[in-house]
Amino acid sequence: MNAFKRDKKEEEEGGGNPFQNIEKTTVLQEARTFNDTPLNPRKCAHILTKILYLLNQGEQLGTMEATEAFFAMTKLFQSRDVVLRRMVYLGIKELSSIAEDVIIVTSSLTKDMTGKEDLYRAAAIRALCSITDVSMLQAIERYMKQAIVDRNPAVSSAALVSSLHLTKIAGDMVKRWVNEAQEAVNSDSVMVQYHALGVLYHIRKSDRLAVTKLVAKLTRNSLKSPYAVCMLIRIACKLLEEEDSNGNSSPDSPLFEFIESCLRHKSEMVIYEAAHAIVNLRRTTSRELAPAVSVLQLFCSSPKPTLRFAAVRTLNKVAMSHPAAVTACNLDLENLITDSNRSIATLAITTLLKTGAESSVDRLMKQIASFVSEISDEFKIVVVQAIRALCLKFPRKHSVLMNFLSAMLRDEGGLEYKASIADTIITIIEENPEAKETGLAHLCEFIEDCEHTSLAVRILHLLGREGPRTRQPFRYIRFIYNRVILENAPVRAAAVAAMAQFGATCPDLLPNVQVLLARCQMDTDDEVRDRATYYHSILEKQNKALSNHYIVEGLQVSVPSLERALHQYTLNPTETAFDIKSVPLAAVTPADENANKMAANAGGMLITPALPGSKAAVAAATANTVTREETYLEKLRAVPELANLSISLFHSSDPVELTESETEYVVRCVKHCFPEHLVLQFDCTNTLNDQLLENVHVQLEAPDGYHIVRSVPCARLPFNETGSTYIVLQYPDELPASVGTFSATLKFLVKDCDPATGQPDSDEGYDDEYMLEDVEVTLADQVQKVSKTNFGSAWEEAASTHSELEDTYSLSTMGTLEEAVRNIINFLGLQPAERSDKVPEGKSSHTLYLAGVFRGGHEVLVRAKLALAEGVTMQLTVRSTDPDVAELVTSTIG
Amino acid sequence: MLALINRILDWFKSLFWKEEMELTLVGLQYSGKTTFVNVIASGQFSEDMIPTVGFNMRKITKGNVTIKVWDIGGQPRFRSMWERYCRGVNAIVYMVDAADPDKIDASRNELHTLLDRPQLQGIPVLVLGNKRDLPHALDETGLIERLNLSVIKDREICCFSISCKEKDNIDITLQWLIAHSKSGVVR
Repeated sequence: MNAFKRDKKEEEEGGGNPFQNIEKTTVLQEARTFNDTPLNPRKCAHILTKILYLLNQGEQLGTMEATEAFFAMTKLFQSRDVVLRRMVYLGIKELSSIAEDVIIVTSSLTKDMTGKEDLYRAAAIRALCSITDVSMLQAIERYMKQAIVDRNPAVSSAALVSSLHLTKIAGDMVKRWVNEAQEAVNSDSVMVQYHALGVLYHIRKSDRLAVTKLVAKLTRNSLKSPYAVCMLIRIACKLLEEEDSNGNSSPDSPLFEFIESCLRHKSEMVIYEAAHAIVNLRRTTSRELAPAVSVLQLFCSSPKPTLRFAAVRTLNKVAMSHPAAVTACNLDLENLITDSNRSIATLAITTLLKTGAESSVDRLMKQIASFVSEISDEFKIVVVQAIRALCLKFPRKHSVLMNFLSAMLRDEGGLEYKASIADTIITIIEENPEAKETGLAHLCEFIEDCEHTSLAVRILHLLGREGPRTRQPFRYIRFIYNRVILENAPVRAAAVAAMAQFGATCPDLLPNVQVLLARCQMDTDDEVRDRATYYHSILEKQNKALSNHYIVEGLQVSVPSLERALHQYTLNPTETAFDIKSVPLAAVTPADENANKMAANAGGMLITPALPGSKAAVAAATANTVTREETYLEKLRAVPELANLSISLFHSSDPVELTESETEYVVRCVKHCFPEHLVLQFDCTNTLNDQLLENVHVQLEAPDGYHIVRSVPCARLPFNETGSTYIVLQYPDELPASVGTFSATLKFLVKDCDPATGQPDSDEGYDDEYMLEDVEVTLADQVQKVSKTNFGSAWEEAASTHSELEDTYSLSTMGTLEEAVRNIINFLGLQPAERSDKVPEGKSSHTLYLAGVFRGGHEVLVRAKLALAEGVTMQLTVRSTDPDVAELVTSTIG
Repeated sequence: MLALINRILDWFKSLFWKEEMELTLVGLQYSGKTTFVNVIASGQFSEDMIPTVGFNMRKITKGNVTIKVWDIGGQPRFRSMWERYCRGVNAIVYMVDAADPDKIDASRNELHTLLDRPQLQGIPVLVLGNKRDLPHALDETGLIERLNLSVIKDREICCFSISCKEKDNIDITLQWLIAHSKSGVVR
């Protein structure tokens, strides 16, 4: 080990990287020698290497530079030097996306890919596909088809992989290559078979039936390539998952049998893939799990570290869903704790933590502590997540675990690692009231020496929210004020906001907070000063309602919408003041919904769900910050007939299926609620390949009071495409009439067409219609959720300003309180406040607090007292700024 | 036996007097550029050709001269790139379809635009009127007039009427080309 380390060091110090000091401009200058005659192939290859090196180091070339270099490179086609030519292919691939007019090499590459020199052909195909655009594809189609079925496996593979890339720009053309791909599946070459299966699947993936057939056929005549079998397992899994989500799962599906049979395959890769698939399938029962787990157990004692790692990593995941199944492997996992590979050891310990008893926690924590400093951040995060699960499982152990976490916080580590620790502590605080004070104390200590601004800001925000409700709020003020003295501007601003929270919630601290805020008004940073002044002047008024509205609750509207609304306002100046109620509210996304989205996103093509914390998941989480309404609004504004509607979309519902999922035409409806109008968006998909639909629109029977303003048809709907048609309705004047049922019929003009080309046979068509399920407009469609941090004070305050209605209901169909709570939330579409949606176990009564805003900006607060007695009895109290709204809420329930 | 000795002799000659020349072949699409390269390289003529997408690079050995030919596609999207491949060559060969009166004006415009580029100053130009086997094909004088070649004074320019199909005048074209390999070295 020592010798190895020394070697590595010497390598770093000695000669090292010959390309270390090269510079873009000099290299590009050198590239001009490509134009020389006679050519020196070795020298040119060296220069090309430099260019490739620079590009791979992330050096950016401008379009001009890249084009110059590219055309100089094309001159190298005159050389017959094999090495140089292959370097040129690489260069073409790298520059193809930056340089202009890259299609100039099409002819030369086509010649190479069909030529005699085998060393050129595969690489030429790959390069060719990177430079081809749609207009040029036609010209090379014949060659691609030939290459796919070529006898040389490298050529065939290259053509297949390139086809996959080409589906992005010309999916329809690649679909025509299905026969060639089919032939390639029968190839003897391991790779060709694998790639061919990939192409076949990609071509058919939108057609469930075709995929099912493909899988059925291939599972029967066993594939030679282990890679292809792995791929087949993944496809089978996807089919199974779809079956499950459609609700028509059969217990002994042939697909599952196939996966299970793969556990006895001769290739380890396939065995692992099958085991991994079985444990990850949602439908898997513990009985079906057993053979998969025993395979993984076997792998745990394999001499190959990769297999051990794969096995323990999978077991680690199973431990979350089926801890009992993993306990059988505990002995093997114990052996892996001392594995020389730290990654394996970490995963083994964290798995044991998940499956083990409360008594073993202390011992295992000690084990981890012995090497936690030696493992990488990524695995430290795994450890942190294990601890988080442990805390939720054994709340009594929180002090041991919290101490461990705070020790980890003090260690060196990256932002992601620190953030995951802070997250864990925050979760523990929220789930376990006993741990709150210690947890906050640890976090306070952490921000004393925290180099990550974003983390410090988050923790300060948390302190501001949780601190005032602890027994001794004054203890936190010192930690927070220290930040004002020592930190950078964003942290100072956050600290000021946190202090204001204390001032607003704890009257006895108010004078002290005011003194500190007054001092902050001398800050050098504008934002800090502004905040301090703002909070100071509000707190000065000593008006409970005022500080509640403007300090405790904060801004509820969606920020991008606010920005756009203000922009609109400044463009068209009017006499009237800007009305913040016209701005849509920020959607409230509960944490578990977020997690679901992450999983859905990671589902991508055939990749197994990514580890939480991976890039994709992070991207999905950030994408969530744009609300659903925002994305819909963008789309609606693009429709010219709808553009002049109000600029602010108040609320959009989830899509509702108006047809069965496997019918001729699939229609989904999204209800968009504007302040005055209701827009129904019908997303229609045509699943008949011999029909072209035109002038697709929905005929609606509106209930009394509703008035249809406009209908926007979808002009053309070819096979397998989704188009939208819209109906704009005006809400009835009477609020109670706004809840109702619309019967809908899809109407359209059918033109029969040729399934292959999609071209209609004649210009003549005939009218047809299709019955849809009824569209229901409910209360939930017209309200937006609002999260209230301090429901109690808002409720008190509303007693005087809002109108109140109260009623008692008996919900006889509900068996439990949880069920009742879930139903009420779904029905009203309001946001539960203060975690009142979680019913404590073993209680027979519960109070649910809900908050939201009705369209037009009327606030709605609901208190539902529930009691369990042969069904559920509910006393519902509604307070709203508009009496009609309150009446609507009480009248729709029941 | 004699043939063998001759070939060895040729090889020796080529060792000492080996010459390389580089020329670029441009012109509108469907004028017969790729066909011309095939004819001078192997004497093969084919009716069935596909449009050149980009360029073809061919090396042809005639006697002791190796000719590198850049045969560039003639479709409008490639015309802006002709100039890049004409820089520094020994000669530019401009192919015209002499039997297509509709395109002759476009051909003239492209030729003059190309020759106006400052980077290509002084490079000899050979204009070839292809397809003389077809009826109503223009002859040399007709081409010179229609292409307005007489205004080009700053360089050597020459015009032949040829037929790739009948292999008409291919020999004099080759002679002209080989004669210009030297001038390239001197320049």
